[in-house]
Amino acid sequence: MKARNVGLIMKKDLGGLLNEKTILLAILLQLFVAMFSSFLMVGLTTMYDPSALQKHSGVKYGIGYVGEDSGLRTYLENSHDFLVYDMELSPGIAALKERKLSAVVYIPDIPPDGDDPVKVTLYLLQNDIQAAIVNVKLKEAFLQYEEDLRELRSARLDILPISLEFPAGSGTDFYEFIYGLLIPLLLFMPAIISSALIIDLITEEYQQRTLETLLSTPMSITEVVWGKILACEVLVPIQAGAWLALLSLNGIRVENMLQILLQVASFSLVLILVGALVALYYRERSAAQFIFSTVVVVLMLLALTFPGNPLNLITLLATGTPVQAQWIVFSGVVMAAALLGILVSQYAKRSGKRHLTE
Amino acid sequence: MGKDVLPLAVLLFIILVAVTGNTAQSGLHLQDNLYSVGVDDPSLVGVIGSDSRFVIYEGSPVSLYQNRESFDVIIIRGDVFAPDTKKGRAAVKTLQRDYDSYINIIYSQQEDLFASYPLWIDVQNVKSELDFVATQSGSRVAAPARSSTPPVPEGPVIEIVPPSSEVGIPLEDLRQGLVESQGTDSQISRYTDMFGEESPFGTFKTPHQLSPPLPFDSIILIFVFIFPLYFTSQFFMMSIMNERLERRGEVLLSTPLRPWVIIAGKALPYCAGMVAITLILSLWVGESVSILLPIIPVILFFLASALIIGMISRSFKELSFISIFFSTVATSYLFFPTIFANVHIISLISPLTLVIFTIQGEAFTISQYFYSTALFFLTSIVLFYIGITNFREERLFSHARLLTRISDFIATGLSLRHPYLSIFIVTVLAIPFVFMVQMMLLVLFFNLPMPLSLILLIVSAAFVEEVAKSVGIFTLLSRKQKFLGWGRIIIISAVTAAAFLFGEKLLLLVTLSQITESVFGNILFLSLGVLWIPFLLHFVTVLIVAVSLRLKGTAGYVPGLIVASIVHCIYNLYFILGWFA
Repeated sequence: MKARNVGLIMKKDLGGLLNEKTILLAILLQLFVAMFSSFLMVGLTTMYDPSALQKHSGVKYGIGYVGEDSGLRTYLENSHDFLVYDMELSPGIAALKERKLSAVVYIPDIPPDGDDPVKVTLYLLQNDIQAAIVNVKLKEAFLQYEEDLRELRSARLDILPISLEFPAGSGTDFYEFIYGLLIPLLLFMPAIISSALIIDLITEEYQQRTLETLLSTPMSITEVVWGKILACEVLVPIQAGAWLALLSLNGIRVENMLQILLQVASFSLVLILVGALVALYYRERSAAQFIFSTVVVVLMLLALTFPGNPLNLITLLATGTPVQAQWIVFSGVVMAAALLGILVSQYAKRSGKRHLTE
Repeated sequence: MGKDVLPLAVLLFIILVAVTGNTAQSGLHLQDNLYSVGVDDPSLVGVIGSDSRFVIYEGSPVSLYQNRESFDVIIIRGDVFAPDTKKGRAAVKTLQRDYDSYINIIYSQQEDLFASYPLWIDVQNVKSELDFVATQSGSRVAAPARSSTPPVPEGPVIEIVPPSSEVGIPLEDLRQGLVESQGTDSQISRYTDMFGEESPFGTFKTPHQLSPPLPFDSIILIFVFIFPLYFTSQFFMMSIMNERLERRGEVLLSTPLRPWVIIAGKALPYCAGMVAITLILSLWVGESVSILLPIIPVILFFLASALIIGMISRSFKELSFISIFFSTVATSYLFFPTIFANVHIISLISPLTLVIFTIQGEAFTISQYFYSTALFFLTSIVLFYIGITNFREERLFSHARLLTRISDFIATGLSLRHPYLSIFIVTVLAIPFVFMVQMMLLVLFFNLPMPLSLILLIVSAAFVEEVAKSVGIFTLLSRKQKFLGWGRIIIISAVTAAAFLFGEKLLLLVTLSQITESVFGNILFLSLGVLWIPFLLHFVTVLIVAVSLRLKGTAGYVPGLIVASIVHCIYNLYFILGWFA
């Protein structure tokens, strides 16, 4: 195997990619996924988060209050979100139907410290986004009231929980989402893209019958395959590195970038080699892609069942958590890649002979 | 399909099922050992020990306090301390969630269940008779309450019997249900506590269970339905691509068969396969076969897009990139609205919401069906039409660049002999796509904070419309810059504007009446009021692009588009928000 020939193939394939410019779509796609998933998380939570909503609206929602006086009433009145009206049930519901109220609560006559539970009936508008928001705001008042009732009845508890006091005021932030899901996902995508690419590059040479031309030069099939593998592998740290840079620009601090890139590069190589093996075996794109994507899903699910998997490691490294296992996992992955590499070389040689004699 | 795929596929599928089951059992280990927690009380291990995110260290209060720098959170004598860092706060939050579920487990074991769960809420949903009328002027759904006197209903008041104060569910059933609902801790609850556990008693809930409805299970189930469709459409895409390899398709084209027969023949097995898979799946999960109805337009849309993607990509890598891109965008268009399935009418823009309704055992009406599938039917028809007219030798085997090829495809529909008519048709055909993209934008911007979402929507909606309107003119002028004299440019612009207005109006008449009545709809489909004003707007903006193209050639396209979008935005701002007025 000559390094020069491998380099030539690598240059040819990378040039082809740049020439077609559709790799831009792949990058756009990653951006889209990132935007969409964080939007989904942040947007949805903001939508339902009472404290976030208050910033945008000074709106008060009208609540019809029917039935006995209770502690709940005080909580509703003290909330900045509600205006509480004393009403009868029937006109209250009619007003709700006309959207003159946002909700109606009905409190029955049950003593707070009685044996029976207090059963409140809450009337909301069906299929209405505002009802969902009012629902979230009401939940706070109900939880406070439930706490009071529990206090009143606390003497009747027979198993006492360990009590913990938490520091006050920790708002929503998306720490676990960003570091525990988004970053591993973003860094995993270049690996997927590269390994899908290797299948396209290899099967294309077979299906367009350009492999014969390549093999009629002094180039060997192993050199061709390794050139392609390297072309795909080179793209991984570039894309992953770009992600890390973008995240840092956004004020998301990622620790241990170098170690993360090493981890990403190592498990990408494994996936690319598996892709190459599948492509060499099938020599036909749709079968190879189909089998390969199923294999990737299986491998990924399997890896995720073990703590200390590469994605878990990325989370830990990115947050700056001390990790003991990283070099063990890294060397394990590199060993797997080495074994696969030998397998790919052997198989390429064999199938190259077969290809020429066919 | 290639050699021995099937046995391996079956084997992989069996492994996949086994692995999925295994993963569901052991959970995903993505965030294991993320936080280190120091405790002085060994019994706390029982509270947080089951959460794999924590590494627990035991120590004396003094040693914990001295080493507090090396922990993310420490618990000393029942007090929780954490450094004031992002990670520290996140650790406290996670700890608090674990503690809450621990408390709930203890509470549900109490002898006197109503001492630990003293408050129960019965949620009754009331259907409003004033469905989206209130939003017509862009005002809030429920009028904000201001006055101190209670509102008086205008309509008749129906007498309602006060609900009974009885719980109506046996105590042990309640306990059982509470214990069971502890187990439904989904992965989502790690990231947000907005979507709490579902109540096992339907509308009967503890305050803790009072959360916005998220049809999580149904969404997962839909994925099961959509996933095979992706794969099958991939195969169709490849089968189209294969005809283009080494000009293999020449044989087919030389037969007297018409292009539509060839395409229909190639698509039929895949289409039948998809229908069969959907049927089998719906029987397998025990759902009604009527799930097929909303899925059919999705199948058609996938096939039509696969045809076009298979016809335009030049190489395998391009095929991969475009198809992955397409399927991600399509997935988000299909899935994202379904999250709001029980919350907002907007969820109906995706046919999959109808699938959720079916799974939930609700029927959907014909108008709902029409509303959510019309765009899919229309765009599929247009895409198939483009594919069929371009299924010719010079298009299939060309090696031109992607954008050139797309514009070639459109050019097939343009005839230089009837430029006005063809421009008219191309513009009308572009409208379903404009609506689809704008719907996507609507969904994307839908719950960003209000002024931001409005501005983003105005700008992007204007841009999308300008791109769509300029497609015909761009194709004509990029082919023959001198083809259009100045007089012709003016007529062409007028024709485009008229076509756009006509198509928009036509499509709106048949669908979307509900969306257009909200404030967002007002922006997207503003140009519907008095006819001559929007006509003038479309005319002016198309003219800007056309003139820019005529003067500078293709280099003038993007600047022209930007200027036209700015004009469009100013117009929108003036008319909706009344700015500069």
